[in-house]
Amino acid sequence: MKTFNLPDLGEGLPDAEIVRWLVKEGDLVALDQPMVEMETAKAVVEVPSPYKGTITKLCGNEGDVIEVGAVLVEFDGDGSSSNSPESASAPSAVETPAAAETKTTEAPQPTTTTAVATDVFNLPDLGEGLPDAEIVRWLVAEGDTLALDQPMVEMETAKAVVEVPSPFAATVAKLHGQAGDVIEVGAALVTFGSAGSVAAETKQPEPAVSSDSDDKPADAATVVGAVEVGNKVVIESASAVIKALARKLKVDLSQVVGTGANGAVTQSDIKQAKADGKLIGSKPQPAVVATSSNVSSDENPLDFKASPAVRAHARRLGVALSQCSANGRKGTITKADVDAAASSPASSVASAPAARSSTAGGGLPTVQVSVEPQTVRGVRRAMAMGMAKAHATVVPTTLMEDADITSWPKQDSLARYVRALVFASKIEPALNAWFDGEKFERLVHPNVHVGIAVDSPDGLYVPVIHNADSKDANQVRARVQELREKIENKGLKQDDQQGGTITLSNFGSIAGRYGTPVVSPPQVAILGTGRFRNELKLTAKGIENRKMLPLSLTFDHRACTGGEAARFLAAVIEDLQKPL
Amino acid sequence: MAAITLIEAVNMAMAHEMEHDKEVVVFGEDVGINGGVFRATDGLQQKFGEERVIDTPLAEAMIAGLAIGMAAQGMKPVAEIQFMGFIFPAADHIISHCARMRNRTRGRLTLPMVIRAPFGGGIHAPENHSESTEAIFAHIPGLKVVIPSNPSRAYGLMLAAIRDPDPVIFLEPKRVYRIEKHEIEDNGEEYPIGMCFVDREGTDITLISWGAMMHETKQAAEKLAAEGISAEVIDVATVSPLDIDTILESVEKTGRACIIQEAPKAGAVGSEIAAEIAEKRVTSLLAPIGRVSGYDTVVPYYRLEKQYMPKVEHIVEEAKRLMEYR
Repeated sequence: MKTFNLPDLGEGLPDAEIVRWLVKEGDLVALDQPMVEMETAKAVVEVPSPYKGTITKLCGNEGDVIEVGAVLVEFDGDGSSSNSPESASAPSAVETPAAAETKTTEAPQPTTTTAVATDVFNLPDLGEGLPDAEIVRWLVAEGDTLALDQPMVEMETAKAVVEVPSPFAATVAKLHGQAGDVIEVGAALVTFGSAGSVAAETKQPEPAVSSDSDDKPADAATVVGAVEVGNKVVIESASAVIKALARKLKVDLSQVVGTGANGAVTQSDIKQAKADGKLIGSKPQPAVVATSSNVSSDENPLDFKASPAVRAHARRLGVALSQCSANGRKGTITKADVDAAASSPASSVASAPAARSSTAGGGLPTVQVSVEPQTVRGVRRAMAMGMAKAHATVVPTTLMEDADITSWPKQDSLARYVRALVFASKIEPALNAWFDGEKFERLVHPNVHVGIAVDSPDGLYVPVIHNADSKDANQVRARVQELREKIENKGLKQDDQQGGTITLSNFGSIAGRYGTPVVSPPQVAILGTGRFRNELKLTAKGIENRKMLPLSLTFDHRACTGGEAARFLAAVIEDLQKPL
Repeated sequence: MAAITLIEAVNMAMAHEMEHDKEVVVFGEDVGINGGVFRATDGLQQKFGEERVIDTPLAEAMIAGLAIGMAAQGMKPVAEIQFMGFIFPAADHIISHCARMRNRTRGRLTLPMVIRAPFGGGIHAPENHSESTEAIFAHIPGLKVVIPSNPSRAYGLMLAAIRDPDPVIFLEPKRVYRIEKHEIEDNGEEYPIGMCFVDREGTDITLISWGAMMHETKQAAEKLAAEGISAEVIDVATVSPLDIDTILESVEKTGRACIIQEAPKAGAVGSEIAAEIAEKRVTSLLAPIGRVSGYDTVVPYYRLEKQYMPKVEHIVEEAKRLMEYR
C-alpha cells in the first residue's frame, strides 16, 4: 500500500480543508490527475496524483481539515510489489495468484507480480566479512509460504547469531542444509518454488541479501552485529527545531515573520528577531487554555492545582475541585480546602476562585456553560498573521474628509470608488506603490490593481481587480461579480488575491462613518468609504440638504508624505464629486 | 540534496567542519584507513590527510587524553570511541580532567572537544556493544551529553558540538544509524544544543524520549492517536544539561508524563526527568509519572535481546494505564 500525505500547498500553513473529491475509491488515476480540491488560507488548490494507480482509500470527507503531512489518499500496491506505480497498475503485467496458493488467511495482496519459476537465495555476507556461517535452527519448513522479511533461519557467525529474513513473498521449495551445517557465503541456502514478488526496493532485508559485493552495507567487512537498513526518506520536523531555537534564544515566535520558502520561519529569522529584541514577554500574550480531550466532565481538572493525593481525597468525598477554595501555596487546593468544601459546600462555593455557578439563593436556576477555544484556521488565520505583520511594520496615518455625492445618479457606488482610486493614482502616484522597509525600496506602479476587502463568514478576503485603470465601469462590475461568486463557491484562486497595489474597504455598506483601515504591506495606502448620509450644509444658496460620503485614507508614512496623501485624497474627492 | 542516513549525516557534519575550520581533527580506532567500523569517518582521511584524520592504537585512555591536550591548546578534536562499552578506560580523563578544566583553571582554559561513541542495543551484538550508559556522563557537571534521534539532528547537533567551546559527549544511537534517511542540505546550519524538540503536539499525555527509542515513541503516539489519545512527543536530544522547562511546560498542559528510555531503569536520565517533574509540577499531575525502560540487568545476548528492548506496545500500554489512572 502506498500512501500520499498532504504536502504543503504553497502557503506554509499547517492544514487545508477538503472542498471536493474529484475521484472515488477504486478509481484508476493517471499521474498528475487532479484528485481533490483543497482550500488553504488563501486559495482553493487542486491536488494532483503523484502516482498512476488505483485509489483504495480517501482519508477524509468534504469539509474535513487535513494537517500537512497527514495521510490524504491511499493507493493500491504494497511493500512486496514493485515500487514502480506504473507496473503496479499496468494491465499487461502477468498476474500470479501467489496469495491464493498460500496457507495463510491474510487477504490476497492486490498486486501484480512478475512470475518466476524458481529462485535460489544464496547466503549473503551476514555483516562480519567472514567466509561462512553455521545453521543454528530453521524457522521455516519446505512447502511453507513466506511473507517478505519473514525470518527463515538463525545463522551463527563468529560474533553473533543472526536471523536471515526472506527476500521474497514466496513458497519454500528446498532448504539447503541442516542445523549444524556450515554454509559458505554465496552458496545456496533456500530455493523458492513459486516465487512471489521480488524484494521491495524501499527496504533492504536485514542484512543485505545479495552476495554481490556492490550491494553490501558499507561497513559489512568490519561491523559487529547487524544494523537495520531502511531507505525510507523521512521529513525533519523543521518547526520543532525552529521552536527549540526560539526557546533557547527566548524569542517570541509570534513576533517573527518568516522569510523562508512559503513564509517559513528560518534560523536566521529567529536570530534576527533576537537582535531586534522580539523576546518573550516583550508583548502581552493571551492566556492559553488547554483542555484535555479525554476529560468528559465540564470541569477541566487542570484548571485546578492540587496534588494527586488531594485529588484522590476530593474524589473519595465526591467534592468537585471547582467547589473548593485554594488556600495552599501558589493557589493550590489543600486537603483542608477539600474537607471544608465537603462539610459546607454552600459557603465554599462563594469563595471558590474558579467557581462557574451562580450563588443566587433564589430566582433563576444555575446555568453552567463550558466554552472551549477553537483553533483559528484558514482565511481567518491568514488575516491574523497579515494584520500582525502590518501592525509591526507600517507607520499608519489616517486622513478623513467627506465627498459631496448629491449629484450622483442611482448607480453602483463600488465602481465609482474604484474609478476614483484610479483617477487619484494618476494625479498622485506615490500612494499607488509598494514599499520595502528593510531594503528601503519603493516601487511606484504604472497600473492600478485595486484590492477589495470582502467580509465573509470564513474571514477577510481581499480579491484584486487587476488593471482597474484600463477597465470601464461595466468591466469593473463584472469583475466584482465574478469575485463575489468565487468567494461564495470557495473558488477564489491565489492569482485572484495577488498583486494589489492599493486597497478599498467599503465598510460603510454595513455601518461606520470614519475608520482607520489597516494598510497591507507592501502596499502603502487603503481607502475606507463610510456610510453616506444626508447633511444640512451651508452653501452659496443657503442651507441645503447634501448627500455626504465620508472617506478615510490610511497611508504608510514611511513611504508617502502627508502632502502626497492629502493631494491623493483631494483627487479622490474631485472624481467622486463628478455627477457621472 | 541527497537523502542520507544518520551515520552519513555525522560524516557530513565532520567533513563540513574540517573543511571550514583547520583546527578540527578526527582520531580514534580505525577511523582513518578503514573509515570507521560504522563508516562514520569514511573518506575523511583521503580528503583531509593523515595529519588531520589519525588512526590511534587501541587505547581509549590515550585517545581521551590526546583530545584534552589538543583542545587545551586551541585545537578542536573530534575523538571516536569505537563503542560506548569501550569508553571506561577513558572515563578518568573525561570525568577528572575534561569535564572540569574550565572550572579548574577559572575559565582560562576551555576544551572545545567532542567525544563520539555509538551506543545502544538492538543490533544483535555482544553486551558491551549494546549498552545505554548515557546517565553516567549526564551525571558529571561540565559535560554536555547530546544524543541525536534522526539524520537532520545528527548533522545539526554534531556541528554545534564541534563549535561548542566546552566538551560534548556525542552519543550516536547505532540501531537507527541507517533505519531512515533525511534530505539534508550541507549548509553548516547547526541545531541548538541544550534544547528539547517537540516533535508532536498533544493534550493528553507527554511522551519523553531520546535517541533510538524516539522511533518507537513516535509510533506509539500514532497508535494512541488512533485510540483517541492525544500524545505530545518530546525528543530530549540533549540529556545533559536538561531542557527541563520545555518538559515541565508540556506536563503542565497534559497532566501526564511517560518517559521512554532504552537504558536500565535505575539511576537513569529518565529518573532525573521524573524527579524534576515530581519536584516542580506535582500539582499538575493527574496520574503518576510513567516510565518504560530497559531492565536493570546487563543487556542480554542476541536471543533475548528482543525481550530486553522496550517496544511500541509497552509504551502504548503504559500510556493507557496513565490515562485510565483514577
